[in-house]
Amino acid sequence: MDEEPERAKRWEGGYERTWEVLKEDESGSLKATVEEILFQSKRKRCVYVCVCVLIMRHLYVVIDCSRSMEDQDLKPNRLTSTLKLMEAFVDEYFDQNPISQVCLHRNPKKHIAALKKAVDTVCVGEPSLYNSLNQALQSLKHMPGHTSREILIILSSLTTCDPANIYELIKTLKSLKVRVSVIGLSAEVRVCTVLTRETGGLYHVILDESHFKELLMMHVKPPPASSSSECSLIRMGFPQHTVAALTDQDAKPSFSMSHLDSSSGPGLSLGGYFCPQCHAKYTELPVECKVCGLTLVSAPHLARSFHHLFPLQAFVESPLEELQGDRYCQACQGELKDKSIFTCTSCHSVFCVECDVFIHDTLHCCPCCIHSQVTPL
Amino acid sequence: MKLNIEGLLVYFPYDYIYPEQYSYMLELKRTLDAKGHGVLEMPSGTGKTISLLSLIIAYQRAFPLEVTKLIYCSRTVPEIEKVIEELRKLMEFYSKETGESNNFLALALSSRKNLCIHPEILHANIVVYSYHYLLDPKIADLVSKELAKKSVVVFDEAHNIDNVCIDSMSVNITRRTLDRCQNNVDTLQNTIHKIKETDAAKLREEYRRLVEGLKEANVARETDIYLANPVLPDEILQEAVPGTIRTAEHFVGFLRRFLEYLKSRLRVQHVVQESAPQFLKDIFDKVCIDRKPLRFCAERLQSLLRTLEIADIADFSAVTLISNFATLVSTYSQGFTIIIEPFEDRTPTIANPVLHFSCMDPSIAIKPVFQRFQSVIITSGTLSPLDIYPRILDFRPVTMASFTMTLARTCLCPLIVGRGNDQVALSSKFETREDFAVIRNYGNLLLEMSAIVPDGIVAFFTSYVYMENIVASWYEQGILENIQRNKLIFIETQDAAETSMALEKYQEACENGRGAILLSVARGKVSEGIDFVHHFGRAVIMFGVPYVYTQSRILKARLEYLRDQFQIRENDFLTFDAMRHAAQCVGRAIRGKTDYGLMIFADKRYARADKRGKLPRWIQEHINDGSLNLTVDEAVQLAKHFLRQMAQPFRQEDQLGLSLLTLEQLQSEEMLQKITQIAHQT
Repeated sequence: MDEEPERAKRWEGGYERTWEVLKEDESGSLKATVEEILFQSKRKRCVYVCVCVLIMRHLYVVIDCSRSMEDQDLKPNRLTSTLKLMEAFVDEYFDQNPISQVCLHRNPKKHIAALKKAVDTVCVGEPSLYNSLNQALQSLKHMPGHTSREILIILSSLTTCDPANIYELIKTLKSLKVRVSVIGLSAEVRVCTVLTRETGGLYHVILDESHFKELLMMHVKPPPASSSSECSLIRMGFPQHTVAALTDQDAKPSFSMSHLDSSSGPGLSLGGYFCPQCHAKYTELPVECKVCGLTLVSAPHLARSFHHLFPLQAFVESPLEELQGDRYCQACQGELKDKSIFTCTSCHSVFCVECDVFIHDTLHCCPCCIHSQVTPL
Repeated sequence: MKLNIEGLLVYFPYDYIYPEQYSYMLELKRTLDAKGHGVLEMPSGTGKTISLLSLIIAYQRAFPLEVTKLIYCSRTVPEIEKVIEELRKLMEFYSKETGESNNFLALALSSRKNLCIHPEILHANIVVYSYHYLLDPKIADLVSKELAKKSVVVFDEAHNIDNVCIDSMSVNITRRTLDRCQNNVDTLQNTIHKIKETDAAKLREEYRRLVEGLKEANVARETDIYLANPVLPDEILQEAVPGTIRTAEHFVGFLRRFLEYLKSRLRVQHVVQESAPQFLKDIFDKVCIDRKPLRFCAERLQSLLRTLEIADIADFSAVTLISNFATLVSTYSQGFTIIIEPFEDRTPTIANPVLHFSCMDPSIAIKPVFQRFQSVIITSGTLSPLDIYPRILDFRPVTMASFTMTLARTCLCPLIVGRGNDQVALSSKFETREDFAVIRNYGNLLLEMSAIVPDGIVAFFTSYVYMENIVASWYEQGILENIQRNKLIFIETQDAAETSMALEKYQEACENGRGAILLSVARGKVSEGIDFVHHFGRAVIMFGVPYVYTQSRILKARLEYLRDQFQIRENDFLTFDAMRHAAQCVGRAIRGKTDYGLMIFADKRYARADKRGKLPRWIQEHINDGSLNLTVDEAVQLAKHFLRQMAQPFRQEDQLGLSLLTLEQLQSEEMLQKITQIAHQT
């Protein structure tokens, strides 16, 4: 489909047999390639179904920092590459799930700072799946039932040194409805297959860096809710942003509550969000009020989480030949060249495959539908 | 599903079928049609057993007069149980589809706990049992001699059938055997005395019978009731038992003399090797035992044991063994050799004399089977090169075919590692066996692999001695310590209990994510019969070419015989034997289409065409020229890539239409075209 971005300089690459990729076509269907199978699964993900999902997520990310992270098959090494992708993941995660948490924190900046610091970590020793799962479980099990409990493990090592029987722990995780997903950096490990299968998570092994990114981004979308999860009402505050004019002499700069515990960042500011309950000031949303514990969000945040509940209907795929009239994509205005085209079910606009993926993955609404709603005004 | 195989309606108890199964059934049907023998090679895990059963049973139902019985021989009890399980599924399918209760009777002879002696079993349509019931003359006589001529015999997992044949005809006599035999003879003597006092008529009756000769047995054979016993050749049946051993006392005296002679022969100081005629001449010169009474020894003993009404024959195993030996040595002037060794090679100071009466011609034991039954099918996952089996077993097959495995993804990755990272050639050949650089590079290979292969790795060495040396050397160099950071290490030993313990712990370590390496030996217990499915064997490393120990005198005699009789050069046979064991070892990792595994051949000699060409076709076709002489680093890169590819999700739908077919897909013209290419005739 699309051109793969140049991953690294050729001479930095590992021992590759680029000429062998060419052979796949002529060898016929006996040797159907893994790439084809992968493409099939990519297409499959383009099927959008309306499922009930949990929009409040609690996600623990465990990054393996054992000896094998020093391996240089991802450039410059596995750890650096992983951390770089994690930054992107954290950004994307909070963008799509603003009212969720990673490791019980809401602030993406904090995570990114921590990730940056971790780059210099020296990777030694063997990892323990048991210990990391156990630690994550200790905090996750206190989370309320209407939120999801998730653990995402980035595992580079192929071995785990466990102090106890991991199968017992898997049973516990299952009973506490913790969903564990694993992204393997080297190969398929049996215990991870069992772990993810039992807890209902996903298990994937990366092929290269771009595939790694793709797999990480899969975890941005919230998981489907099991029917047994609780429902409850949550109090939320929607503070207005008040800006004090610089000319206003009465305005006094004040500290934001969220900066109380961190030394870095700007200390004093004029305006901000004030908690409707206790009037504590915050410079950023979403946040949980430090004083009264109210969850403070803005309406767009909620709306962004909302689209998981009501995803855009899948567009209808049809062959290009059947299309009457102009062969232009309604979104990018490019000429339709691919074999198949995609039609929106409500406004009957036609899109190309790239725009179809973009609309469903990023926009979450059909631009033509919105356009038609706006025109009468 | 119901299949139409060249006009034959075959009930197949699964909804999907592999293309190679269909192809296999086609070949099988042609073999049965021609009423001939066949040699068929199909990879393990592609459903050989069910294809065999479905087709032959369908054939039996369609032509009840042509084929009356199926005799299915397998090697071990678990394998027999697997066959029974498949058979049960098939029978359920039959009764479901046809609506009639099935009138098929199947019988499995596995172990004593499942034994049934109801006379109805003689009419069973399907008999499943171990090779020995058919090949070993001692047991075959009891179990198999009444099997009908119009039976189809299947030898499954038959890649070692020549060795089974040879073992069943060979006799090893130690001092212990002779002592026990002495006791047996004493018991016989006492019993005869007792009977003589109480019931002399019985002995007279036996005498009369022996004068008339073994006519009964002869009649039986001519009227085609019995399977010929190779120990009891035809000529004997024409003649009467010679006078010297007709009376019971004389026979016992004869046995004593023979025993004394054997004892004297075991009192040697140096190795003696002689042919059967030499042995007979010597025995005549020393104790005046003629060839003729020796030939009747086995039959005469059976008759005596019957007359004396001895219930527990097992007690008399030693004397039975000796009398079998007497008959064999005097019957076959060719194909056997006698080697008397005063001590074992490894312990030259401890006297432990053994008389090896060793069979060198596997066709002697299996000949009656080929002659008697109209179709004999020899099949296994590894039978390459196919043409050597008909030669060493001396029969003419009507079909010889090797089937490949159709795959939706290439799930096996054979790599030949010929060099270390320092370009030192890797080989287990004798001259470089002690070479420090080779051992270090082997260690390095295992270390690198332990870091990138998940869960279980099985490594095979060529012998226990070689393994011990290498592991000791690795320990000194600190390689073992490094490996243990990645995986635990388990070692197969000659002790069966120890090995099964190691195996159990190995599997546990694979299961809980710690990862493990099993160091074992080609030709050992692990290399035959223990499967390493999925995570229990993600990689098999074969260190060196597993040539058999060539200094053994028995082997040398056999090689000589093969050269003289069958025009098979020593080197060809040794390579064939080494490669079939190597194929067995690496084949342990792939036990089905959803499985995947690396096969690493760590010896530069594998790259040569004469070695590579002897691997089964389903392995050979995945070795491309680029993976012939890799360094350790290159192999690691390829393995990493392979393992990542294989870890991608793989569902049944991906296989459908390519390597897994529904009935409709099977019937398409295009697919039938493709199927004809699967079987590779030789």
